[in-house]
Amino acid sequence: MNSSSAYHACPECDLLLKATLPDVGEKAHCPRCGLLLARPHKQSVERTFALSIAGIILFFPANLLPMVGITMMGNANTGILFSGVLALFNEGLQAVAVVVFLASILFPLVHISLSLLISGHLYFNLANRYLAHWMRWMHHLDEWVMLEVYMLSIIVACVKLMSIAQLKLGWGLYAFVALIVINTLLTSGLDEALFWQRIEQLRTRKNNAN
Amino acid sequence: MQTKTNALSQGLIRCHDCGYLVKTETKMSSCPRCDGHLHARNPHSLQRTTALLLSSFLLYIPANIFPIMMVNQFGAGEPHTITGGIVDLIDSGMIPIAMLVLVASILVPASKLIGISLLLLCAHFRWQVNARRWTTMYRMIAFVGRWSMLDIFMISILVDLVNFSGVQIIAGPAATAFAAVVILTMFAAENFDPRLLWDNQQNSYE
Repeated sequence: MNSSSAYHACPECDLLLKATLPDVGEKAHCPRCGLLLARPHKQSVERTFALSIAGIILFFPANLLPMVGITMMGNANTGILFSGVLALFNEGLQAVAVVVFLASILFPLVHISLSLLISGHLYFNLANRYLAHWMRWMHHLDEWVMLEVYMLSIIVACVKLMSIAQLKLGWGLYAFVALIVINTLLTSGLDEALFWQRIEQLRTRKNNAN
Repeated sequence: MQTKTNALSQGLIRCHDCGYLVKTETKMSSCPRCDGHLHARNPHSLQRTTALLLSSFLLYIPANIFPIMMVNQFGAGEPHTITGGIVDLIDSGMIPIAMLVLVASILVPASKLIGISLLLLCAHFRWQVNARRWTTMYRMIAFVGRWSMLDIFMISILVDLVNFSGVQIIAGPAATAFAAVVILTMFAAENFDPRLLWDNQQNSYE
């Protein structure tokens, strides 16, 4: 092989480190720049698989059920994630609408689907030549999934509207909060180093079988 | 577990996507494990970051002087800028929320613009600094970036909910500029390579 897998490098300061994986529950920091290098979780594959399934299921009520209802001067209106996107689009702010759509609907869905696909393959020990590609996409998408930022803006918007209108929180909002909890557990429990190891193992096993 | 040396100076390139180490002498252009593009440092890191940063600086001006939304009450429109929205919140006594919006939509974008400029200057002029502290600053900039989208999401919620015949909230032109600032600075932070800070230090191994 053309690599020395006995070593790691810190992604942010490039310090060469001997590869020692910390035990479950421990953390490894880069001794030079302090970056959190690894924090293995118990049964990362199983947990990721279970949480991804829960996330996919919650995604639908969170997106389809009304989130916030508003009553103002006898008129009532409800909003969901997508109706906000449409409202921006219809007002001529197409670019902003697309950004909101990507960060709050499409990227979260793709991110959870990819983690379901990857952890499912690893859980059932299925080799797939796209596993590495999915892993890379998921890695890059991570930063652009902004569910928790959206949650904070719902709170700010509600506080702003509270004084001038009557608000009613809907089931969609509860599903959305649950989705954020699941998504946070999912991203923090996903052990990338372990996933890459398992992907490589599956590939070598498949190559040996052929 | 410390080896007191850079991976690159030992002829090893770390794959940006999966962390695999590849020997430089193999002259491979993609990672054997994940097929990601291999590069020792982010390609044209300083140029790209500078370009994205300059665009953000320019867009930051319209984002702050134009109205971000307008409240239309019975035909009479009242434009709000980002600062105006915060002043309104303070006037109606909602200090904590006002602070939150102040941090997310004014302090964070402004400190990001200044922070990334400093990082660029530091990397370009090879300042001898406490690289650990500067890397921490970089990490904070990269972490807080996405939280500035708060204002944009809030506008999409308000525009959608407050849409009655008597009262309407309409998004203003600053929204596009502000969203662009947030996204461009996120890309700028992503393109900046903190390893350049370490490459320039003469004694970074104490």
